[in-house]
Amino acid sequence: MALLNYPSLYWLFLKNRIKILMEYRMNFLIGATSTIMIQGAGLLTVWVIMSQIPDLNGWTLPQVLLIYGLITLSKSINHMFADNLWTLGRDYVRTGAFDRFMVRPVDPLFHLLADRFCHDGIGNFLVGGVLVAIAAARLGIVWTPGVIVYFAVMVLSGGVIFIALNLMTCVSAFWIMDSVPVTRVVFEMHEFAKYPLSIYPRAIGLLLTWAIPFGFASYFPATRLMGLETPLWQAYGAPLVAAVLLAVALAVWRFGLRHYGSTGT
Amino acid sequence: MIEAVNLTKVYHIPDKDPGVRGAVKALFRPRHTSKTAVKDVSFAIEPGEIVGYIGVNGAGKSTTIKMLTGILVPTGGQVRVLGRDPHRERVANARDIGVVFGQRSQLWWDLALRESLTMVGRIYEVDDARFQRLISEFSETLELKELLPIPIRNMSLGQKMRAELAATLIHEPRIVYLDEPTIGLDLLVKERIRAFIKRINQEKGTTVVLTTHDLGDIEELCRRVLIIDNGVLIYDGSLETIKQRFGKYREITFETAADLNGLDVPTGADVLEKGGRTLSLRFDRTQTSASRVSASIMSQIEVIDLSLKEPDLSMVVKQIYQGGLKETA
Amino acid sequence: MISTLKRDLRAYGAIVATVPKMFMAYSIWVWMSWFVQIIAVVILVAFWRAVFSNTATVGGLDLDTTINYLLLGMIFRAGQNTDVLYEIGEMMRDGRIGITLLRPLDMQATYYVINLANMGLNTLLSIPIALFAWLAYGLSLPNDPLVWLAFLVALLLGNAVMFCFDWIIGCVGFYSTEIWGLSVLRYGFGLFFSGALIPLDMMPDWLRTIASVLPFSQALYLPVSILAGINPVSAMPRIWLIQLGYLVVFLVASRLVFGRALRVVTVQGG
Repeated sequence: MALLNYPSLYWLFLKNRIKILMEYRMNFLIGATSTIMIQGAGLLTVWVIMSQIPDLNGWTLPQVLLIYGLITLSKSINHMFADNLWTLGRDYVRTGAFDRFMVRPVDPLFHLLADRFCHDGIGNFLVGGVLVAIAAARLGIVWTPGVIVYFAVMVLSGGVIFIALNLMTCVSAFWIMDSVPVTRVVFEMHEFAKYPLSIYPRAIGLLLTWAIPFGFASYFPATRLMGLETPLWQAYGAPLVAAVLLAVALAVWRFGLRHYGSTGT
Repeated sequence: MIEAVNLTKVYHIPDKDPGVRGAVKALFRPRHTSKTAVKDVSFAIEPGEIVGYIGVNGAGKSTTIKMLTGILVPTGGQVRVLGRDPHRERVANARDIGVVFGQRSQLWWDLALRESLTMVGRIYEVDDARFQRLISEFSETLELKELLPIPIRNMSLGQKMRAELAATLIHEPRIVYLDEPTIGLDLLVKERIRAFIKRINQEKGTTVVLTTHDLGDIEELCRRVLIIDNGVLIYDGSLETIKQRFGKYREITFETAADLNGLDVPTGADVLEKGGRTLSLRFDRTQTSASRVSASIMSQIEVIDLSLKEPDLSMVVKQIYQGGLKETA
Repeated sequence: MISTLKRDLRAYGAIVATVPKMFMAYSIWVWMSWFVQIIAVVILVAFWRAVFSNTATVGGLDLDTTINYLLLGMIFRAGQNTDVLYEIGEMMRDGRIGITLLRPLDMQATYYVINLANMGLNTLLSIPIALFAWLAYGLSLPNDPLVWLAFLVALLLGNAVMFCFDWIIGCVGFYSTEIWGLSVLRYGFGLFFSGALIPLDMMPDWLRTIASVLPFSQALYLPVSILAGINPVSAMPRIWLIQLGYLVVFLVASRLVFGRALRVVTVQGG
C-alpha cells in the first residue's frame, strides 16, 4: 500500500474501534477509570508522604509530580496506540491470526498496531495531563509557544521510547509465543522514572540513561522545564534517543519477521 | 499461474526439556530435530483451474499453502505465483490472492459485516465504484443483503462463511486458496458455497486451490486432485483416473455373532478393519466376487448382517492414505 | 462422619495439588515476577530513604521500621490479593459455574482451600525477594515465636475476610459485563487502603479512618504491623476480635449474595 494511504486507513480502523467501544460503554468507562485508580494509589502515597516532610531529598512535591506526570503521559501514548504489542504472541502468533496480516497488502506491523486502539490508555493520559498542569502551575512554568513545543516533542519522544522498547521485546513472540514476561521485564523499568533519578544509586541512573533510556521520557525534560541546570544532551536528547531506539526496534522486528517466515509457528 | 518446483520445507524444532532447567539448557546448548514437512513437491496450476489439495492432518497441506501464499519461505525448491516469488514480493502477491483460513475469520467480531467489508476493501485499496458493484453482486450470489447490518459475532457458521468468502473476494483476486471452506456446515449451506465457488471460477476465471476433508467438495468442484502424504506428493492427476483405478474394488463389512479369532481371509480380499465383532474386507472384483468372499466367511463364523459398499472417494482416499496407491500404481 | 471428612479432605487436597503444577507451567512468568518485584524493592527503598533524608520520623515511624514494614508487606501481600474475584466472576459469566456446582463439595469451601494454597505458594515464591531484601537492605525478622504465631493468626483471619469480600465482589461482577475492570478497580483500592504502600500510621486521620473501616487492611496492615514491631503482641487479642467480627459479617454476606447470584444464573441458564 502506498505510504500516503496509511493515515486514512488508520483513521478508518480507529473510527470502527471507537464504534465497538461505544457499544460496550460500561467496559469503556471502567477500563479508562480503572487505570486512573491504579495511578491514584501511587499518587495518593506520594501526596500523603510529601505533605508531612519538608522535601524528598531536595525535591518538592510539584517537582516530583511533574516527573511523574511526564512519564505517565509518555506511557499513555504507548498504552493507547501500541498496546497490541503485548498481545502479539497470545492473540496473533499463537492463534495464527498473524498469518492473515501476512497475506494482506499492508505492512504487518501497521496492521498489528491499527488493529486495536486501547482505550484504557485514556485514563493514563488524563492523569498525566492533570499532573503536569497542576505541577506546572505550582512551579510557575509559563506555557509560551516554545515551552509547549518543547513539552510536546518530549512527550512524543517519550512515547516512542516506550513503543520502541515494547516492540523490541515483543518480537520474542516469534520464538516463544508468550512474549509478555520478556516485555514486562523491560517495561517495568519505567517505574524508576516516576521519581527523580537522583534518589537512586548511580548505577540505576546510568541504566535509565544509556540502556533502557526512560530517563529521557521524564527526569531530563522535567529538570529542564523546572529551570534547573540540565546538560544540553539531557535536555534535548530525547528525540534522538527515540529515533535511534525505534530504528533498532524496527530492525529487530524485521529480524523477527524473517524468523517467522522460516518457521511459521 | 502457480508453479512449484521441488518445493521442500524443513522445520527445526528445538528440543526442550520442561521447566526452567530445560529452558536454560536450551539457551546454552540448543538441540534441534529436523522435520521435513514438505519434500520435493512439484506441480503447476493453470489459470482457471480448480484444484483439490488433499491429505490427512499433518501431511503438509497447510505448509504448502503457507509457502504458496508467501507466509513461509521454502527451505528448498522454488515457488512462482503469477511469475513472482510470493514471499519476496509479498505485498504484490497479496493483492492478487485471496485466502480463506478455515475457521479463523478475517472479519471483526464486533463490527457489522458492511463495516468489516469496508475495512477489508480499504486494505486492498478497492475503489468505491468497484466496491459497490461487488457488494451488490455478492448480495445476489451469496445472499449477503440481509447479513450486511449484522455483526459477525451474531452470525451462524454458514453465514460466517458466506461473509468470509465475500471478504476474500472483495478485491477480485486472480487466485483463491480455500482451506476447509465447508467445514462444519450443513448440507444445504455446503451446496450453496460450492455453487458460489463454481460460479466465480466460471464467470471470472478465478483459479481455486481447495484443501478439504470433505470429498463432496472435491467431487463437485475439482477435476484435478493433488494428494499429499507425509510431505510427499503421491498423486497429481484427474479425479476420474483415481476413481477408475480403484473402481474395481468393493468394500464388504460383516457383523458376526461371535468374536473374531483366527479367521482365514479369502483369497483376493484383504482386511481393512477388524473390530470385536465386525470385519471389513476389500476385494478386487476382477479376481473374486462378493458371494465367494461372503461364503468363505460364513463357512467359518455365523454372520448376523453384512453390507456392501460401492467405491466412493472417501474409500479411495482412505486406501491411498494406507498406501494403497503405491501398491496398485 | 470421620470418613466423610477424610474423603472431603482428600478431594480438597487433590484440588490444592493442581495449583503448583499450574505455576510450573508458567515458569517464565515466575522469573518475570521476581524481577519485577526486585525492581519494586529497589524503588521502594530509594524512595523512602529520600523521604527520610531531612526528617527523623514520619507518623511516629523511623526509616528502618518503615522500610522493614513495607518489605514485609511485599513478601506477605498474597494474603490480601486473592484471585477469587476474577475466577468466580468469569465462571458466573461463561456458565462454567454449572460444572463446578456439580462437584460434591461446597463450592465456597473449595475455593477457600484453593485460595489458601495460592497464598502459601505465593508466599513461598516471595522467598527470593525476602532473600534479596535481606542481603541488600538488611531485612530483619523477629525471633520471638509468639510474634510469628500472632502474625500467622492475624494473617489467616485477614485472608479469610478478604476471601469473603472478593467473593461478594465476584458475584456482583456477574451483573456487570466487565470483570476485568472491576478487579483492577478492586486491586487499586486494595493497593492503597491495605497499607501496602504506606503504613496506616502515616495517613492523615480521615484517611486512616477510611483505611481501618475498609476490609483491605485486615490482611496486610494488621498482621504485618505485628511482624514489623509497629503493633505489640499485647494488642493482638483486640485485633483478632475485630478481625473475627469482620469475618462473621462478610461470611454471612458472601453466602447471601452468592445464593442470590446463583438463582439468577440457574434461572437464566448461565
